[in-house]
Formats: sequence, structure tokens, C-alpha cells
Amino acid sequence: MKHTKHQSGRVLLGAVLALGLLAASCGSDEEATSGSAATSAAPAASDASATETAVTGTATSDDPAATADPVTVGPAGETATASSEIVLTDAELATVNEGGFTAALLWHTEGAFVTAVSNGVHAVFDKLGIEIVAETSAGFDATKQASDVATVMALDPDIIVTLVVDPDAGAEALEPAVDAGVKLVLLSNVPTGYVHGTDYVGLATDDLAGMGIAAADLLGESLGGSGKVGYIFHDAAYYVTNQRDAAFKARLAQMYPGIEIVAEEGMAAPARAEEIASAMLTTNPEVTGIYTPWSDGPADGVLAALRAADRSDVKLVTMDLSDNASLDLAMGGNVVGIAADEAFELGRTLATEGAYGVLDKETPPFVVVPAIAVTRTNLVEAYERSLDSEPPAAVTEALGG
Amino acid sequence: MSTGGSNARVVVAGFPAATAPASSDSGVIGWGRRVLADVNPNRYVVLIAFLLIFAFFAITQRDHGFLTSTNLINIGRFAAPIAVMAVGMTFALAAAEIDLSLIAVVGLSSLVAAKVVESNGLVIAALAALAVGATIGLVNGMLSVKLRIPSFLVTLGMTGIIGGVARSVNDLKSLPISDEDFQTVFGGKLGPVSSLLVWSAVALALGWVAFAKLRFGRHVLSVGANRPAAKMVGIRTDRVRIGVLLIGSIAAAFAGVMLAARSGVGKHDILADNELLSVIAAVVIGGTSMFGGRASVAGAVVGAVTISMMTNGLTLAGLSVNNQMIARGVIIVAAVAISSREKKEA
Repeated sequence: MKHTKHQSGRVLLGAVLALGLLAASCGSDEEATSGSAATSAAPAASDASATETAVTGTATSDDPAATADPVTVGPAGETATASSEIVLTDAELATVNEGGFTAALLWHTEGAFVTAVSNGVHAVFDKLGIEIVAETSAGFDATKQASDVATVMALDPDIIVTLVVDPDAGAEALEPAVDAGVKLVLLSNVPTGYVHGTDYVGLATDDLAGMGIAAADLLGESLGGSGKVGYIFHDAAYYVTNQRDAAFKARLAQMYPGIEIVAEEGMAAPARAEEIASAMLTTNPEVTGIYTPWSDGPADGVLAALRAADRSDVKLVTMDLSDNASLDLAMGGNVVGIAADEAFELGRTLATEGAYGVLDKETPPFVVVPAIAVTRTNLVEAYERSLDSEPPAAVTEALGG
Repeated sequence: MSTGGSNARVVVAGFPAATAPASSDSGVIGWGRRVLADVNPNRYVVLIAFLLIFAFFAITQRDHGFLTSTNLINIGRFAAPIAVMAVGMTFALAAAEIDLSLIAVVGLSSLVAAKVVESNGLVIAALAALAVGATIGLVNGMLSVKLRIPSFLVTLGMTGIIGGVARSVNDLKSLPISDEDFQTVFGGKLGPVSSLLVWSAVALALGWVAFAKLRFGRHVLSVGANRPAAKMVGIRTDRVRIGVLLIGSIAAAFAGVMLAARSGVGKHDILADNELLSVIAAVVIGGTSMFGGRASVAGAVVGAVTISMMTNGLTLAGLSVNNQMIARGVIIVAAVAISSREKKEA
């Protein structure tokens, strides 16, 4: 009896191993990384309520046949207005200052980006005499954010600036604020069913398509317009990264026909980027350029893989400024460019739109802040424009400063 | 975890697991019996899994470079931190304890090492990271023993505390490491050999010695097999329980040092949360009982390599992230289930 159990156990082990491995072989047919042009699907579609990146004249932004640049458009296809147009006159500034208004900032998470956006908001509100009565972080938890909304409503703010974690849950959570006449200013995501001018006063985001374009151009130019590239995209239904990744891919296909994406891999956890990049280099040693969806984590892993493989020849481009990628860029390493946003400017825009709200001044339906193509040359300036800070000392030293 | 299983048979480390000195057999006959017991094929589940998976990918992914020396070394490099953690976790599971805070310790220790190395050099940086691990392990152990809280609850709670501290150390950002010596010694190459593999071998050797040669190892197994009985024969079970959590945490801290050196940064999430499953699976597939009283350090290391190889092969195969997660989960759960079942029957 015992012997039988052991035998059946081994048979079961073999069967299950075979099942799991069979899944591997089945999946590889459709999403192979090697040899030929990658065929796997683009990142998940953006949230319907969020702003979208689209290639003019086509439904999707990663169509290689597209002939126009990807552009960032609003939730209902609105044309983007540049953030530089969102300004207050001296008279408006004085009016707001006399109002004694209050505001609450309900962020989706923490980190360098949120800190820079928040600094931008604080700078404007300080100037306008608007008191910030609460500032919260939801840690990407929609339930926590709903709780944050309920908590700050007790403080009766006039303005709420927020990035809603989940458009559906956010619509429900923010309803009391809308009903109470709070001026709602949104970063990137629009709560489901909310209407500009009725439910919220303003919507601003990064020029996500612009960032994708900048990253593609940085890589394309560093490769001299030809070469084989590995494309690591964010494999999650996350609006911001999905749009940036898609725009990068579309721009590369459109503007650099001599560059071929030969390896395409999704990444769900940044901690796995090194393993993914190592496998990519093993399978496709001819790769001379790699794209990663953001720098803090994914680019670190790719840099480690390149270092381990002694591949100083591979050019790496990524998104968002991080200290490690910036240091590598400053030292003339693998990183040849970083596409960054102007997070501080985004905060300034959001706060100014909040002032528009209390002044009952009409806002454009959709505002974007420009992207920055960061190279070694403009790295210091990019830190100031994007994060409202100086680069770390190690970066400055590496630049010879 | 329970307060000790009812396993009457205590088995110690080594690959395959050997019979514990609890046996009254001695001399050549006893040794012979133990050797015969050791060749029981049921203890080779991890090797069977290793060989099956290796053979499968060697055939199907040969054209994708699976068998290249670079890729095989990469499998070892990626397995190394998990292997070190698995050695530490082997002590905890063998004593019928568990440490769920390991991943958080890895993140915090990587940040501590990254912060300290820039001004104090690699030795102080490594020691500082290990000190952090030791402190956390001691707190885990003391809370569990003195307040009589099961270790899984204590370490689960500590995960939040450690994770919160780690997140605030550098405002969630990566902390770059520019000290090349640190990167070489703990995560690069020592001559032609990957230092990650060297440190894994050191962890394996230390773990093996502890279980096979030291009284502490025997006490760990006795406590895991039957804590009340161990107490009755004079074993200081509280010290042992604190000790295993201390060792687990120190091992995790060192894994954090290795990861920081390998990737060139310290970061609070330098290791994904779900790698805790890899660590536990490596230990259990390797021959250690989830319920205490049986341990195999070498098995845990082979288990870690097996899981790393599986991840590598699935990635080379071009599976989507979703399919990788499914395939990996199926294989791990099945291997752990079968491994546990066969040990119960043995």
C-alpha cells in the first residue's frame, strides 16, 4: 500500500510538472522573445475613464503602420492644452488671497514624483494664501483613499486635489465632496461618470505620449537609427505606464524603420527586471538597445544584468528620473537618456486650476505638462524642472561639477 | 506554526537528510542502516524535480540559450540570495517555527548596506546590515517566546513595521551604491567565480555543520519534533526558538547585502514579496518538514536552484507574466504537496 502511494505520488509529480511545463511551451508560441519580431500584445488598454494616448487617425497607438505621432488626448478625445496657459492675473491672485480658502491633497501614493507634485501645489497655494488642511497617501489602496476622502471632508475644504486610485471607487468616494460643492482638481484619472465643469473643475496630466516619443527618440538617435532592441513593458493595467510604453513603441516603429524590436517582455514586479533582462540578453545577444518602463527598480535591474553580462555596448533608455539611472547616465554608462515629466509644473498647474475653481473661472477640459528628454547635458536642469531639486552629490560629481 | 509536531523520527541535515542521533544504533551496523535509509528514493523529490525541469528546458529551450554557460551561471546567481534565505528558513521550519518577515528584512538590510558602504566601506556595511537582521531576529524571537505569540503572527506583524521603516529610509527610492569593492565581494566575481555562488556555498556549509556537527542543530530538530519532550530532557527550548528566528533573520539580512551588491542599489522592495513562497517552497521541496523535526540544508539549496531554473526557463520560453505565474505556482504547489506527502509516509 505504501509502495503504491509512493508510486502514485511520483506519477502525480511527473504529471503536474508536465502540465506546468506544457503551459510554458504553449505560451511560447504566441509570445516568443527570440529570433523574430515580437508579436505579443501591447500593454493592457487604458482605463476608459482615464485620458488616452492615441495615434492620430488610428484606434491604437502601437500600430506599426501608423504614420502620425502619438498624442495625448483627453477622456472624451479633448485636445490637450499646454500647462503654460494656466495662469492667474494679479487681480485674480489678490481675490483668492482675500478668500481664506482651504484645500486637501489626496494622493494615490508617496515617492519622488508625488513629492515634487506636492511641492508645486504647496508653492502656489502658499502664494495664494490657501491653507492646506490635510495631505494623505492611499498607498494605491482605493479603500484607504475612500476613507481619506471621508476624513478630510470633516475639515470642510474648498478644494480637493487628488489622483484617484480606482475611477469607479473614486467616483463613489468623492460624491459627498462633489455634492458639497468642493472644487475637485484631478491628476490623470477621472472618476467614472464625472463631467468636466460640473463634477470637477480641472484635469491635468503628464504628456504621456510626449514621454514615449522622447524615449524613442533618445534610443533611436543613440543607435544611429539602426539596431535590434529589447522592449520591456509594464505588464499591468496601469494607465500611465501603458500609455507611455505604447507611445514609445509606436514612435520607434514610425520614425526608426532601421530599428527592430526583437525581444519583448512584460514585467509585473520591478524586482524581476534583472532576470528578465538576463534572459533577454541570453536569447537575443544581438540586442544593442533596451527600453524599460521606468527607472527606479526596472532600470536598476537591467543595469545589473548588463553589468553581469559585460555588455557596456547596450544602450538603455527609461522613464522618470531616479538617482541610480541618473548616476549611470552622468558616468557615461549604459543609460543614454531618460524621458521625464515636469512633476513640479504639474503641481503648479493643479493648484492654479483649484484657484480657477474658487474664482468660477472656466478651465480647459484637459491640460498636459511637457515631457523632458534628459541627456547627460541637461541632467542638472532636468532635476530642477522635473523634481524641483538638485541631483544627488554623486551625480553632480560624476558630471564633473 | 504549531508548537512542535509529533514526528517520532528526527532527521538532520545533509543531502539526503540523515537520521538523527536520537537513534540508538551505533557503530558500523548503525551507520549502514542509516546509509540504507538515506538512499530511500522518497527523499529525492527535489532531485527528481530538478532533473525533470532541467531536462525539459534543456530540450525545449536549447535554441534560446538555456544550456549556455552564461545562462547556467545566471540561474545560480539568481538562486543565490534565495538559497541563503532558504538555509536560514530551514532552521525555523525544523524547529516548527516560521519567519514571514524575511522579505522585509532583505529590503531594509539592502538599504542599510547601501547607506553605510559609501562612508564606512564594505566590511562595516555588511556588519551593519547583519546587525539589523540580528536585532530583528532577536525581537521576533523574544516576542514569540516571552509573550507566547506564535512566530507566524509575530513575524507577520513585524513585516509591517520593518517594511514601513524601509520605505521611509530613502523615500521609496533606490539608493545607488558606487563602491565597486562592495559590489565585487558580495555580488560580482571573485576571479572567475561568481561571489554570489561562493556566499551560497558558505551558507550551505555553515548550515550543514550546524545540523550535522553541533549540539544546537540536534536541539533544533528535537524542539521541532516534540517541544515538550525536548524540554523534559533538558533542552532550553526558548533559547532554541529564539536562535532559529535569529539565524533566519541574519540570513535574510545577508541576502539583502548580496542583492544590493548584485543590483548596485539598496531598495525597500529589492526582492518581490512573492519570493517568500520561493523560499518556503525551496526548503520544503528540499526535504525539510513544515511541521518541524526534519531538515535538509543541502536540499533547501537545491530547491532554490530548482525554482530559479524554473523561472529562468519559463522566461526564456517567452511566457507572459500571467502564464509564468500560473505555471510556477502549479509546479511549486505540486512539488511541495508531493514532497510533504512522501515525507509523512516515509
